Amino acid sequence: MSLVRNFIENWSRYAKSIDEGGFHEYKHMWGMVVDLDKCTGCNACSVACYAENNIAVVGEDYFAHGQAMHWMRVERYWDEPDIGGKRITETQEHGASFIPMMCQQCNAAPCEPVCPVSAAYHTPDGLNGQVYNRCIGSRYCEVNCPYRMRYFNFYSYYETSWPSPLNMQLNPDITVRDKGVMEKCTFCIHRIKAAKDKANKENRKLADGDFQTACQQTCPTSAIVFGDLLDHDSEVHQLWHKYQTKLGTPRQEKENPELRGYRIYEHINTEPCVTYLERVREV
Amino acid sequence: MKKQRILGLFSDFDKAISVIVDIRQYRLPGVSVDDITIKSPIEHPEIEEILGERPCYVPWFTLAGALFGLVFGAFFLSAAQANFLVQPQGGKPVITTMTNLVLIYEMLILFAMLATSLGFLIGGRFMRRRSSLYDTKISLDQVGIEIETDNDYIEPVRKLFTKHMALEIREGKP
Amino acid sequence: MMAEKTAQAAKDIDETIAWARINADVLRSMENPRKGYWVALAVCFAIFMVGVAAEVYQYDVGMGPSNLNNPHMWDLYISTFIFWIGMSHSGTLLSAILHIFHVDWRKPIYRFAEAMTTFSLLTALLFPVIHLGRVWNMHWVFPYLSDRGIWPNFRSPLVWDAFAIATYLTGSVLFLYTGMIPDLAICRDNATGWRKKLYTFLSVGWWGDDRQWRNFRKTYMIMACFLIPLAVSVHSIVAADFAMAIMPGWHVTSFPVYFVSGALYSGCAGIITLFVLLRYFFKFEQYMTIPILEKLCKLTFAIAMVWTYLNLIEFAAVWYGHDVPAKEVLIAKFTGPYSPFFISMLLIGMVLPFSLAFQKVRRNPPLLLAISLLLNTGMWMERYMILAPTLSLSFHPYTWGVMWPSFVEIGIVFGSFGLFGLFFFAFVKVFPSVSMYEVKEMVYHRRRVVFDEAEEKLHPATAPATASASSEDGT
Repeated sequence: MSLVRNFIENWSRYAKSIDEGGFHEYKHMWGMVVDLDKCTGCNACSVACYAENNIAVVGEDYFAHGQAMHWMRVERYWDEPDIGGKRITETQEHGASFIPMMCQQCNAAPCEPVCPVSAAYHTPDGLNGQVYNRCIGSRYCEVNCPYRMRYFNFYSYYETSWPSPLNMQLNPDITVRDKGVMEKCTFCIHRIKAAKDKANKENRKLADGDFQTACQQTCPTSAIVFGDLLDHDSEVHQLWHKYQTKLGTPRQEKENPELRGYRIYEHINTEPCVTYLERVREV
Repeated sequence: MKKQRILGLFSDFDKAISVIVDIRQYRLPGVSVDDITIKSPIEHPEIEEILGERPCYVPWFTLAGALFGLVFGAFFLSAAQANFLVQPQGGKPVITTMTNLVLIYEMLILFAMLATSLGFLIGGRFMRRRSSLYDTKISLDQVGIEIETDNDYIEPVRKLFTKHMALEIREGKP
Repeated sequence: MMAEKTAQAAKDIDETIAWARINADVLRSMENPRKGYWVALAVCFAIFMVGVAAEVYQYDVGMGPSNLNNPHMWDLYISTFIFWIGMSHSGTLLSAILHIFHVDWRKPIYRFAEAMTTFSLLTALLFPVIHLGRVWNMHWVFPYLSDRGIWPNFRSPLVWDAFAIATYLTGSVLFLYTGMIPDLAICRDNATGWRKKLYTFLSVGWWGDDRQWRNFRKTYMIMACFLIPLAVSVHSIVAADFAMAIMPGWHVTSFPVYFVSGALYSGCAGIITLFVLLRYFFKFEQYMTIPILEKLCKLTFAIAMVWTYLNLIEFAAVWYGHDVPAKEVLIAKFTGPYSPFFISMLLIGMVLPFSLAFQKVRRNPPLLLAISLLLNTGMWMERYMILAPTLSLSFHPYTWGVMWPSFVEIGIVFGSFGLFGLFFFAFVKVFPSVSMYEVKEMVYHRRRVVFDEAEEKLHPATAPATASASSEDGT
């Protein structure tokens, strides 16, 4: 009976979607800023991510099959004049541009509602959680992810990925995933947890800079900034403010059109929490 | 007085119908239309009319099943979602009425169909022992008329059956 | 002689056929399997074993050997799933819709069509299971009370699938079974040995009395009424797997209708295939007659045209919508690496059915067998073409890529046909594949109508009142 009472009593809260404020009263909203003009495409973030999150190294063959697991991937795009692209001479010398892509931690994530077993869910911190134990591998989340930022364990990669001494470098804070499970960038949620615990112990509020994600820590040009969007003192909040990118809009309206800052595919209303700093040019 | 059953087998519906018509018209003593059971190899809605109104309760089972599916579906889904708070996903609320409609629809049909089958089994008096008055010819091509009446009235019934060229007449206890 | 023959050919069924003959013919089809039957069964088993071997390997190693990769997370498994679900739809169409409208030519052919529904549904059921990364946890999509308070995600279209398919399977099995009870009683009365026990159990005490018939009639009609919306909802929920996703080429409003029409289309083609085969192998020429086959072809043609229209309107919708990725996908379907499949799908699906407009074709069973198999190949490709191009070309250009299925994947798909064959072959020898009691009804009613009409013609003046009255209750 308590089952029924619960939903009758809390109906007004439970029936709220993100447009009406949602069920959560968020205490944190983890967000990121990636300055593409600072990014050199060195792939250090990707390597750091592999090391930090126990991501399996799949080898050349599987990589060529498209079965790789790079949660953080630096994508290269080439302006190729022979297939119709225009060479943009004033910015990129060789016609190549790159963009580090990780899970965008959308607030209205397309991957979440389609998971049949609620393995993909929204944490009270505004992250897209992925419960490995609960995942049954229907892969609907990846099919519905416009960024294609989810990775599936096609094989038991752990068997071959870390031959004997290498298994000593596995991160003990993170599980090693077996076959048949979907995984993706977590914004280094274990670091967030550790920092939160520490702040709790010391009886203070979580401050900006208490922790960094692995990619942010490693980036040689400090192109990646990470933090709490709801914390007005945080660097990430100030950057979002400075570049006038906002959550909750399908299109960024800027006073100065020269101002950089966009979110990827915000027009499909996914509400990503990552802002890329780069001027959007019409090609 | 003892009740007795008598079954006559006829080669087609026309003969069987004329037996029933005779019973209705001449009013055999002790035999009314309600005592008649037709046993036939095929469905015969228009022939059944001659037996008068006989009730069939299957639709009520269906209605009960459908209503149960509707109410149970709505409450079950909402209750389950309300108690599973890691759910808020993709900007959607905890209790998503719109999508639950799809599942309530399915549950309505599921329970309605199950209840219909149940009503069928109960209403048709299935899963009972075979009465002695059954002949495999009924499933082949003959029409049987079974009459339940008092012991004393059996004789006129048998005469009526013979008059309408019954192929076989059997008697048995109810 | 000649005139008599053509008159015979124009009728759906020969109404002078004796009821006992019907019983004998159908019961004969269920016994004494010939050598060819065992060979066919063995072939199906071998095909099924190919699938089992592939699945065992995949279960052991992971989803990798199926060649799936990052953009192509779903491929043949899901498209074959849609294919089999689609195959399962026409049994219901023929049976339920035609039953509600009292179309009597459905009677000789609906039983195997319903069996096809049930078995293709069972086959379809395998695919969502097979395609799971962790098959052993598949029960998590069902809502059962868990002491951890965990529930499935009721807003996922995959959970709707689970609900809808479970309901549809229950519904279609009940429908098939309920419609078969009087026939099982006939089998019971004629069987010996284990069959006697089986049929006695299954016929749940059917003695054919009017109370049972009355309840039966109501039940069957109610079930038919429920099955029609159910069948439509099942395939539109399968379509919702795609239409509810945001991917270009899937996020289309007309998808549910398109899927349902495609399902009916391939299901009708499947019925034609089995019709021709059963007619030939079981010598059911008297029941599965050419006129019925013709009507079936006309139905298929009509549904094919509906499907064609919806297919074309989908292109129009994409063109109007001016959604760049969706347009890209559409153009890639015509020009990209998958274009051979897509264009042959269009040719087979849209142009080939026009052959059914010709009477010569409609009356030629071997040709129809070939056409119906081709149509189903086309429909299978259609399902593949729904998935592959969208997955290869979605929003994010970095993950654009073409993927071709591996032998493991093809093997499992191949094996599913063996499984369906096994089910179906087992069915036709254990259960009557032509509904005996309903063919009797059909014959009975037709005989009455014909005789009444003849009577009216012979004695128009003498007995106008009775003739018209009796013909009324005869129809």
